[in-house]
Amino acid sequence: MKLTTFSVAGVMALAFVSSAQAETVLTVATAGSQNMADYVTDFLAPKFHETHPDVTIRVIGTGPGDAGSNAIVERLEAQKGANAASDIDVAVVHQKAVGGMVSSDLLEKYTAKADTAKLVSSDAAKNALGVNVEGYVLPMFQSQTAFAYNPDLVANPPKSYDELVGWAKENPKAFGYNGIRNGMSGVSFVAGWMYAFTGEESQMVNGPFKESLVGDAKWNGAMAGLKSFNENVTFTPGNAGTLDMLNRGEIAVGPVWVDMFYSWQADGRLNPNVKLLLPKPGMPGQPMYYVVPAKSEHQDLAVEFIELATSPEIQAKGIVEKFNWYPGIDAKYLEGHLDQAAWDKLFTDIKPEELSERAKAFPIAPYFNAMLTSYEKNVE
Amino acid sequence: MNSSRFAGFLLVLPALTVIGVMFIYPLSYSFVDAFIVPAKDGGAAQFSLQNFATALSLYGDDILFTIVIVGISACLIALGSILIGGYLTLGENRFFVRVLAALYRWPLFIPFIVAAQCMRTFLAKNGLMNGVLVEAGILTPLQTIGFLDWRGIIITFVWKQLPFVTLLVAGAMAALDRSTIDAGRDVGAGRLRILFQIIVPQIMPTLIVALVLSIVIMMSVLSVPVMISGHSPTMITVEMAFRVNSYNDYGTANALGVISYCITGAIAWVYLRRGVKQGGKPV
Repeated sequence: MKLTTFSVAGVMALAFVSSAQAETVLTVATAGSQNMADYVTDFLAPKFHETHPDVTIRVIGTGPGDAGSNAIVERLEAQKGANAASDIDVAVVHQKAVGGMVSSDLLEKYTAKADTAKLVSSDAAKNALGVNVEGYVLPMFQSQTAFAYNPDLVANPPKSYDELVGWAKENPKAFGYNGIRNGMSGVSFVAGWMYAFTGEESQMVNGPFKESLVGDAKWNGAMAGLKSFNENVTFTPGNAGTLDMLNRGEIAVGPVWVDMFYSWQADGRLNPNVKLLLPKPGMPGQPMYYVVPAKSEHQDLAVEFIELATSPEIQAKGIVEKFNWYPGIDAKYLEGHLDQAAWDKLFTDIKPEELSERAKAFPIAPYFNAMLTSYEKNVE
Repeated sequence: MNSSRFAGFLLVLPALTVIGVMFIYPLSYSFVDAFIVPAKDGGAAQFSLQNFATALSLYGDDILFTIVIVGISACLIALGSILIGGYLTLGENRFFVRVLAALYRWPLFIPFIVAAQCMRTFLAKNGLMNGVLVEAGILTPLQTIGFLDWRGIIITFVWKQLPFVTLLVAGAMAALDRSTIDAGRDVGAGRLRILFQIIVPQIMPTLIVALVLSIVIMMSVLSVPVMISGHSPTMITVEMAFRVNSYNDYGTANALGVISYCITGAIAWVYLRRGVKQGGKPV
């Protein structure tokens, strides 16, 4: 009896000691909607745990849109100001936030230490909305906006911004988007509009910022065109709101995020007939980035985590198959890891050549803000 | 005497500290921030009304919109709560009175964000409400209209805040001396007349307190306008969130916050003045 008690106590003590050892906690903070936090919690963390059984992953979702990235930026800034170690080891942030994070020294230049960095070919790994971020970021995935349309309501959807203007006049209220306050698909539609009607896409995307473009005749003409276009559209409540309204047949065409579209369709939350098209001359998309805070105390572990997350296998199974994003690393490295059907599905409606021709970046930050401000002043 | 005073002070100290640290400090911080523009090119941050100029020029419409939406909602809530409270007090069919008394409180327990999400599918053009009306043959599909705009915001606010005001108003009505009502009945006054000429004047202070609290709550809700209609014009809270999220511009957001405080402050002032006129005791 005593022996049993003794051995039980011994086992418990051992368990306690080993659990005390397992207390390395790697904190991953991710901006973005719930699916981002789900991806890290349900998919990445268990995979990482397989090779690092002594590490516990703590996941923090900081919320959708720029607000989510800003929450991470503010926390890191506060910790830097207080000269304290950062309690975030890996962060996933939007493109718009990352430039400021690099220039205010919040991030570690880590990609030289990551073996998977050489698999990345996209420009987005070097340049984030006009800021040189080379060495500080690895793209988690690339996302894209496009028009979703319901072929039951519109057999011949407008295939370019030019066609859309005439089409919206003939079919008032059949096009719907969410303005600029309520999710990035609407902002992306407006950016695409500016590219199409100012003809200044390369200036707006590559910079440098010239104040003279903002408010010149082309700029104001595009904004005035958007104002009269808006009279014939339906305003939807948010990114999800556009998909909801398409689903209920209240609008026939609207801009959406491609990944959200496929996920909803896979979950049976969206009419399976609804299709995608990427209008000419193109619409913006954006990557999410993996970054390592400069003050993280587990930087080596953080880099190992990011290496796993950007490995071909994880990019194939997690990013493409499970979550319907375009991969962050060069697609050619996914061969052999990816089910052909999953790959084809990603390109059913939008062909790879259309994507390479019409997938644009968002404007650099000063044009981005100028565009939003002009919209508030001149369009609304 | 002194030691008991000290003990009393100790008792309120935790609450006072929490209010100071969690509310007064951030409030003052935001207030000051509204009047400051950040340093440019190495210069010092300085006092300026620039944030208010931006707020008024870009969001003047939204400020008016907010006042109108909250005003209409408050009027509808007042009317609704008087009618429900009146029926609970004067209703003669005991069954219906009980059913109404049990039903009207339900929205109290539903958070704003959930209410907004429900309304988003309920009020849409091809949403649940119109679906039921079309199925019932009351409307044809072509006649339906969506309410996902300012009307949706008002409907959600009224639906959500009506029970709260009614709870207070009905309580005050139940506590009234019934002899005044009976006297009215004896001289042949109808029920509506009793309600508006005898009961409502007596419960006015309670109604106003409840409405002031409701207005303050509606002014601060972000989820409802964002989820039902985020397009311009929209409510001040949406623009505050937009300034912070899209431009990282806390200055203008704080200026909008100060304007919002001024509006609620003015309403509170009206209420306090009323109290003073009635003998220095706001109820």
